[in-house]
Amino acid sequence: MLKNHAKFNSINGRRLVLIVDDEQINREMLGYIVSSDFDALYARDGEEALRLMRENVNFLSLVLLDLLMPGVDGFAVMREMKADEALSHLPIIVLTSEHTAEVECLRLGASDFILKPFSQPEVIIARMQRIIELHEDRYIIQSTEREDMTGLFNREFFFRYAEQYDRFHPDQEMDAVALDVNRFHLINEMFGRAAGDNVLIHLATYLKELRERTGCMVSRVEGDRFFVYVPHGGMDYTELAQQVNRHLGSLRDISVRVRCGVYRNADKGVEIERRFDRALQAANTIKDNYAQLVAYYDASIHERKIYEDRLISEMYEALANGQFEVYFQPKYNVEGELPALSSAEALVRWHHPTLGMVSPGVFIPLFEKNGMIQKLDYYIWARVADQLGDWRRRYGREVRVSVNVSRIDLYNQNLIEYLDGILTENGIDPGQIYLEITESAYTENPEQIGEMVERLRDRGFKIEMDDFGTGYSSLNMLADVPVDVLKMDMRFVRNLHSNEKQETLVKLVMDIAKYLSLTVVAEGVEDKGQADFLKSVGCSVIQGYYFSRPLPGTDFIRLVTGATQ
Amino acid sequence: MLTIAALNELGADTQSGLSRCLNNEAFYLRMVNLAVQDDGFERLRAALERGDLDEGFERAYALKGVLGNVSLTNLFTPVSEITEALRARTQMDYAPLLEQIFSELEKLRALVD
Repeated sequence: MLKNHAKFNSINGRRLVLIVDDEQINREMLGYIVSSDFDALYARDGEEALRLMRENVNFLSLVLLDLLMPGVDGFAVMREMKADEALSHLPIIVLTSEHTAEVECLRLGASDFILKPFSQPEVIIARMQRIIELHEDRYIIQSTEREDMTGLFNREFFFRYAEQYDRFHPDQEMDAVALDVNRFHLINEMFGRAAGDNVLIHLATYLKELRERTGCMVSRVEGDRFFVYVPHGGMDYTELAQQVNRHLGSLRDISVRVRCGVYRNADKGVEIERRFDRALQAANTIKDNYAQLVAYYDASIHERKIYEDRLISEMYEALANGQFEVYFQPKYNVEGELPALSSAEALVRWHHPTLGMVSPGVFIPLFEKNGMIQKLDYYIWARVADQLGDWRRRYGREVRVSVNVSRIDLYNQNLIEYLDGILTENGIDPGQIYLEITESAYTENPEQIGEMVERLRDRGFKIEMDDFGTGYSSLNMLADVPVDVLKMDMRFVRNLHSNEKQETLVKLVMDIAKYLSLTVVAEGVEDKGQADFLKSVGCSVIQGYYFSRPLPGTDFIRLVTGATQ
Repeated sequence: MLTIAALNELGADTQSGLSRCLNNEAFYLRMVNLAVQDDGFERLRAALERGDLDEGFERAYALKGVLGNVSLTNLFTPVSEITEALRARTQMDYAPLLEQIFSELEKLRALVD
């Protein structure tokens, strides 16, 4: 359907109107009157009128409608138009000599009246033009204030209307609520864009019902993100999230979960956009936590956000000033009778001049989010290569170290060139570097990632699939991906004591690895019990505090040289 | 012959009729011609003769609208009157009003013939 403002007769640029009257004289006379400004179609009864409307819906700007006609009369036409989405937006001017019918006509959607006998032609034309103009303006506003797919307010209009609401209800306490679909991109990837859209439309439908029930204000602000502005105290958010999830749970075989962030009794002294930022920040604190559906904003979240922003803004300076230091966590081969130091994983530490030691658990996810991780990765690899070259020269040792490769690195076409460069520069062999790539990077874009990983392997690097068991690899995919080592996610190890199922799972991972002829590394091993169990089920390499914490380079090389003495 | 002067003589408000037709005399006279040839008058009479006030109202109402637009005041006035009586479904003798209508109509039709 064309938008109303685009409805010009394509031939002469004039607007097209439909004149509906059972009397030929009235049709002709009105047609003659409007002919100076409009093109006209004519219908002698309601049935013909509806047919012409449907045939010309893309071109019609206005309907001039007589009320009393034999057969389908003007009232019936209006009712039918109102019920038909394609016709409901067409403006109607009713032709009548009956004032008594006006209220009913307005209720049925008439915009104006032209009285019979017709008044001055100029008046008729002016009224028609005014109605078309008003209608088109309204249509433009409606189509700009709402986004196409869900018909909900878009971001900008939502904020403006929320502000307006606040202005007229200054004493009403309000909650800002953000809803986000967990791992929405996966739905799009695994089931196709249409399935993703379907989820959004379903969610929007639920929110529209909620709006009808509670009078809250709803917007789809972007992608899979929805904002709701709710009078405080009027809604149980856990109940809301559960209902949404139940509602979405009925969609085919897609498991869809929504997380909900709430900034309760939002401070109206804070800009409306910032209020919803806070709701979002709260929602993001439970991003990967499937057990918790709702998170509430509090000051600590705000403080953390400020802290994180500071880390982001100071990363370049930290790189330049060498605040990042590489630590080496030893890995031990446990296949023999005695564990033997086999290699290490390079881990990064940030010694911040005023904040002290910043945990990688804090800054790495941040840098991953904004792409800065690539800079840090390159820096770490260069430092590791430099260190390995140094050890080779000084101690004659070809130590093997694994480094983390972020998924963004794998899209960089210069990756191999860069790695080659630092290898050559330091005189080390690609076999000394193990590249750890998370399982989730593989699942994100298996083909492209697979291709790059294949090239890295061809170049001589060994590939470890990191955090195995947390992603969504199908066993099928696992058989095809180019990988040398599976690195079992820490969570498997950490929960070993707590239940038997976990032991069974670990055994299962070991069986899969054995079947695919892959080595398994277990990380996060903290005590003898865990180590013994892992060894007993065939795990070859163990990393964790049980053997050693991450060490500065000088300590690590001492261990290497000492251990082999 | 159907002319503005002749219509004026019969009491038509040709000035408003003409202005409604953007002062196009030929167009206006064509509309008048159509109006006086309308078989709605005969249908109105037939309906009333068989006592069908509903049909009678519909006919009268339609005629009233058309006559108003062409400003044939001499016909419009009795047609309006009969329309209002029929709208209320008044049980009365409609013959005198019908007679008045047809007498005015004949004068107009005489101009056309």
